[in-house]
Amino acid sequence: MENIIQIRNLFKSFRENGKELVAVDHIDLEIPKNQFTVLIGPSGCGKTTLLNMIAGFEKPTSGEISLNGKLIIKPAPDRGYVFQDYALFPWRTVLGNITFGLVHNGWNKPDAEEKAQELIDLVNLQGFEHAYPHTLSGGMKQRVAIARALAYDPEVLLMDEPFGALDAQTRKHMQRELSKILEKKRKTVVFVTHSVIEAVFLADLVVVMTARPGRIKGMVRIDLPRPRSYVEDHYLQYRKQILDLLEEEVEKELKEDGGHPEL
Amino acid sequence: MLVRSGVIQLRSLPAPSTLFSTFWRLAFIDGVFWKHFSGSFYRLLSGYLLAVFLGTIIGALLAQKEILRDLFEPTLNILMSVPTIAWIPIFLITLGLGDKTVITAIFISSFFAIVYNTMRGIELIDKNTVNAARMMGLSGVKMFTFVLFPASLLSIINGLRLAIGYAWRALVGGELLAALIERGLGKMVYQARYFNDAAVMLVGLLVIGILGYLLDQFFLTVLEKRTVEKWGMTHKK
Repeated sequence: MENIIQIRNLFKSFRENGKELVAVDHIDLEIPKNQFTVLIGPSGCGKTTLLNMIAGFEKPTSGEISLNGKLIIKPAPDRGYVFQDYALFPWRTVLGNITFGLVHNGWNKPDAEEKAQELIDLVNLQGFEHAYPHTLSGGMKQRVAIARALAYDPEVLLMDEPFGALDAQTRKHMQRELSKILEKKRKTVVFVTHSVIEAVFLADLVVVMTARPGRIKGMVRIDLPRPRSYVEDHYLQYRKQILDLLEEEVEKELKEDGGHPEL
Repeated sequence: MLVRSGVIQLRSLPAPSTLFSTFWRLAFIDGVFWKHFSGSFYRLLSGYLLAVFLGTIIGALLAQKEILRDLFEPTLNILMSVPTIAWIPIFLITLGLGDKTVITAIFISSFFAIVYNTMRGIELIDKNTVNAARMMGLSGVKMFTFVLFPASLLSIINGLRLAIGYAWRALVGGELLAALIERGLGKMVYQARYFNDAAVMLVGLLVIGILGYLLDQFFLTVLEKRTVEKWGMTHKK
């Protein structure tokens, strides 16, 4: 299988109160092209930091990431990013948000609007073209954000716990919507979550990370046909497999926390 | 009413009806009011608009680079706490006794409020909003015009509002002190002193107050309604 992103010997540490905190500890990873890769791990394991380095928002302390053989040094339109808190432009309408990336990458306005309309249809927001983001619900905002990130046709879609702020019902609905969207529009996706259910429902490949410092604990390939359901036997097996990997990490984290002499 | 009914005994304080007739005389019979008015307005706009223009740009630059901000923020804070009226003597001896002094005083008084609010506004923008735009390849002037500026507009408008208040004060103060200026609302009030004409003084004060209010209502409030309010940025999520 072809890989689109190569991560080599990636290391990232922060200085906090004079102490060095290692967020990502020498990770090697290949992200397969046109597949859905989920990064999962206990909280604080550096999965978002890893994603932000792929995005180019943060620079690695050492090691490198390349996309299609080209080193990633800063954000660029060959990647799209969907944030947990949507990060829409409140001063632009739904249509204006989606055309934003197109217009600033050389599209003329009519073409950009035609393309945006296509995406509005894809994410099911017909009728809300001229609404401002603050009038939309969380689920709708996230659909605008997905459409905005897909509009300029990036090679890779990066998603940071995109459904984390939604209620359980909307969350399930958005998971189904996202897999439908990706069936129509094949993309390489890197998706960060801490929900095992979400991971197994969406992923082709689940990368389980260790508690801080973040390393790769194991990988689980999910070979299930789509559209998937939440309750099949196979599905539950995969969940158990990932949960077992995770559980060790969560326990380790708890032990470490509890092991402080002053606590 | 207090004057007419004799509660206030001061002979020098005129009744509202006298104020109105004085205004009428100044504005429509003498016509001299409009010369004062346009003189002041010209100075106000020149100084204020210059401050808006340079203030937003410099505020934006300071917000961009941490080095620049660390370098200039203390200076800015010191300069901001100097009352404009204290600047005026310096301008009088360096820039002369005319328009230049008053316009500079207006500029100085409003400039810092605008720089400061622009800078703070940009610093408070949600990091991810900027990241989303960086992902689409925006940077530099484009980033400022299409993202940083609208995203910090609420704070910028607050700066503009503070600044216009300061600008008015500087205008009136400057006109009092700049001897070569013949026409201006501040001058009108000040000259009335020679004739002990309280009515003209009060008309001047009222006009200054009302104009300040109208500027706010017709310029800033409209701007606010058409932008940040429509965008839902005036109330926190």
